[in-house]
Amino acid sequence: MPLDEYDKIAHLLRRAGFTAHPDELEAAAARGLQATVEDLLNFERFPDVPPDPEVLAALDLPQSDFDRIRGDFLNRLTRWWLHVMATTSRPLQEKMVLFWHGLFATSVAGLQFWQQIYVQNENFRGNFDPDTGRLLRPAPGNPFPVGSFRLMLEYLSKDPAMLYWLDNQFNVKKNSEVGSNENYARELHELFSMGVEDVVAKVPNYTERDIRQASRALTGWRVLPRATGFTFPRVFAFDPTRHDFGPYDHLGKRGGNNADFIFDNIVRHRNPGQKQSAVGRFLGYRLFTFFGYEDPEPEIVNALADVFDGANGEEPFNIRNMLRTIFTPGNLVSEAFYSERAFRAHVKSPTEYVVSLVRLLTFDRATGRPNGLSSSSSLMRLLQNGMVQMGQQLFVPPDVSGWREGLAWISTTSVLARFNFANDILALSVTQGGIDPMRLLMQAGLQPALQQQRYGEIVDFFARLLWQVPPSVEAREALIAYLRAPISNTNPNTSVDQKIRGLIHLMLAAPDFQLS
Amino acid sequence: MSKTTRREFIKKSGMTVLSVGLAQQAFWRHVRAASENVLTQAAALSPVDRILVVIQLDGGNDGLNTVIPLSGSAASLYRQYRPTLALPEADVLPIGTDASGTLIGFHPNMQPLAELYARGHVAVIQSVGYPNPNRSHFASQDIWHTADPEGRKRTGWLGEYLDIAFPSADNPLLAVSLAGTRLPLTLRAEHVLVPAVGSVTNYQFRTQPPGDHQNKMQAFLALNREGAPEHVLREQIRLAALDTYESVQRLQSGVQRYTPDPTIAYNPQNSLARALQQVAQILAANLGTRILYVSIGGFDTHQAQATPHATLLARLSEAIATFYADLVRLGLEDRVLLMTWSEFGRKVVENGNQGTDHGTVGPQFLIGTRVKGGIVGEHPSLRPEDLNPGLGDPKFSARAIDFRSTYATILEKWFLVDSREILGGAFELLDVLRA
Repeated sequence: MPLDEYDKIAHLLRRAGFTAHPDELEAAAARGLQATVEDLLNFERFPDVPPDPEVLAALDLPQSDFDRIRGDFLNRLTRWWLHVMATTSRPLQEKMVLFWHGLFATSVAGLQFWQQIYVQNENFRGNFDPDTGRLLRPAPGNPFPVGSFRLMLEYLSKDPAMLYWLDNQFNVKKNSEVGSNENYARELHELFSMGVEDVVAKVPNYTERDIRQASRALTGWRVLPRATGFTFPRVFAFDPTRHDFGPYDHLGKRGGNNADFIFDNIVRHRNPGQKQSAVGRFLGYRLFTFFGYEDPEPEIVNALADVFDGANGEEPFNIRNMLRTIFTPGNLVSEAFYSERAFRAHVKSPTEYVVSLVRLLTFDRATGRPNGLSSSSSLMRLLQNGMVQMGQQLFVPPDVSGWREGLAWISTTSVLARFNFANDILALSVTQGGIDPMRLLMQAGLQPALQQQRYGEIVDFFARLLWQVPPSVEAREALIAYLRAPISNTNPNTSVDQKIRGLIHLMLAAPDFQLS
Repeated sequence: MSKTTRREFIKKSGMTVLSVGLAQQAFWRHVRAASENVLTQAAALSPVDRILVVIQLDGGNDGLNTVIPLSGSAASLYRQYRPTLALPEADVLPIGTDASGTLIGFHPNMQPLAELYARGHVAVIQSVGYPNPNRSHFASQDIWHTADPEGRKRTGWLGEYLDIAFPSADNPLLAVSLAGTRLPLTLRAEHVLVPAVGSVTNYQFRTQPPGDHQNKMQAFLALNREGAPEHVLREQIRLAALDTYESVQRLQSGVQRYTPDPTIAYNPQNSLARALQQVAQILAANLGTRILYVSIGGFDTHQAQATPHATLLARLSEAIATFYADLVRLGLEDRVLLMTWSEFGRKVVENGNQGTDHGTVGPQFLIGTRVKGGIVGEHPSLRPEDLNPGLGDPKFSARAIDFRSTYATILEKWFLVDSREILGGAFELLDVLRA
């Protein structure tokens, strides 16, 4: 049974964004699917969430002072990004920042200057100029998050956190075979652009020698240790005295005197007899896996690679064009995206889990917007701890290959961690930055239902909000029974509030809320 | 009780599942009591009593600065290739001469492991790797995890062992990972769901307020009781929830039996030691757990590696020695085999940043009272003709040892199962375990 237009819009907003409140779904349905897709894609039409002033202030602290508070800084930054994702009017922008963070996975665990991870986050949003070290909204010329991938490789390679994380700042001219440190050159090929083998043809994309030659071209790329006006290294610098000017043998071509040669070769690399580029296929595969479903068919991968390659006359290497192909109805790729196979068949990552619950449970019908997350210190600690336990600590991916997505999130550990996180955030009082379930009921006009113990209506309301499907008869009965079951040793004045919190906790821990 | 009937039981019985857990433990105790008699009589160890602890050294351990050549051409070439990183000969802890006649020794920070070695409880397997080495962390880790050089399998070698040896999968704690919250691929199975416990104390359902706990757990089970087989993904989530519930009940009731011994001091600054103490806790609980997995990271030492690498080896060595002492105290030392592994060794020639890049073969350690202590295999030859041209790491030579030989030995001689199906072929067995 094909999806109807309302289902398609709900599906689109869950995947291209972080889910939407029923009021937002109604509004999008009134605009129609096509217009909703264009709103998502052309997110520059809408205002962005401002930076956290305290995060910005921390960037100006002397290093010794910063290092004393860097744990708090990470908590604050995590709270801020989750808040941005939960409240943004540019959901696709933030989804892509999350995509790049997972693909170009960088961890503070390998950084001396943790401030650089915020700079990288803004770089992935298009708000950083590596040549001056300045944060600008937006930074002219920065291709992130949906522009030219060719240019992104340059901005990525100049990113201060990346230059520290994968040691390329230490990579200096060595000999005609290899630079002094091949770490970054390897991951640039293996993880960041094309993968070990062609996604479709399953043939090796490059040789060990290609990596070693590429490392030569990336020599002399540094971060200025000190630059006027900045307290930590954040300005890119090219040092010709450390650079190997080539020529390089790379991916079957010989030439070049700097890394442009390498980046150009990478984005245009095709294996013998293959119509599509290796990078186009790699990104097509990764993007469709992220937004649609795992292990997409070769036809889907190839269709997206064609868009990347500019095979039909489009601007090549453009990520926004690839996203448009996924979301705009009427082509082979978007048919798969809106198919039954994709519908409700994505396991939420911990980030999607947290952001979706915050967006839905802090939505204020009076303003038509979610309130998001406050910066109460108990809430910030709870978020950080929850993300660690659920297995997706932002800015601390397990390694440079990022997080295993999809089915890998299902484990006994994740079940428990999500149950416990939902418990903890529901146990937080409103003054501590917690959720106000009574406001939700009041705005839905359900106070009388609560007073008259018409619990079925309460359950139905939260199922529509959170699960976005009607509850089964059995689930409905179990939840009504839960609301009726008294709490032992409690003050009757607070028990109604506690029961509603308990109901939400249970619904957030149930299978239907794990799926998107 | 089969997997299906266990779940059917949970469906029907809700909270009473706890008593099933206890009955299961009684069963395991019974089996153990029976096998202990055998043990005292004939010193043979029943298969159900054999436990494997896997220690992953994440990032590619520099084997050449772990087990150091002290004689012959290897020793002089080692110093030549590593002008800043070679360890002073006088500091290295010599352990003996290998089959190639090379005197070898441990890194100076590995004194506790050297002591276990001197007592005959450590086998050092040298030059372990596989043909056509892959120098990518992830590809090479996947190869080690799955024992598949193509790296295409989605289940791990020990996951497959669990599926074959425990088809009914009726114990949710057959294997436990304490290596973070992500399950290592080694333990991923088709049927047996292995919990990634992370930390034992956090492995329980939190509910507030306390007076609502029973109500919440009843409702949680009810929400997961109802199957919808047509929705495969939802079904997997639901069954994972039920498994979680059961494993939490068993683990939490079991671990109360462990009491720390003040004379056995696990270093709280050492994450590997903390993880191994939890392994001891789980083993002391006697929950029928057969495989435990821990991991220590930081071995990807591309620059200024001398101090961090030395610290890692100190932690590794100290954690193993403390854990071993605890096993002796708990009377479990005879039942436990430890195996270390790392995805590759590093290049022989140090790089320009006083670090080392990704290489090929490296050493593996097996530790336990049932290990035949000693040196297996030869130290990698460092002669230019034995290195991969242009790459500066040892070739996988005819004298090197395929890691699947270690796996085959553990499967055949420790777990007493046929290794060929799991490893996709027969591999030479190593003479490293006593009967």
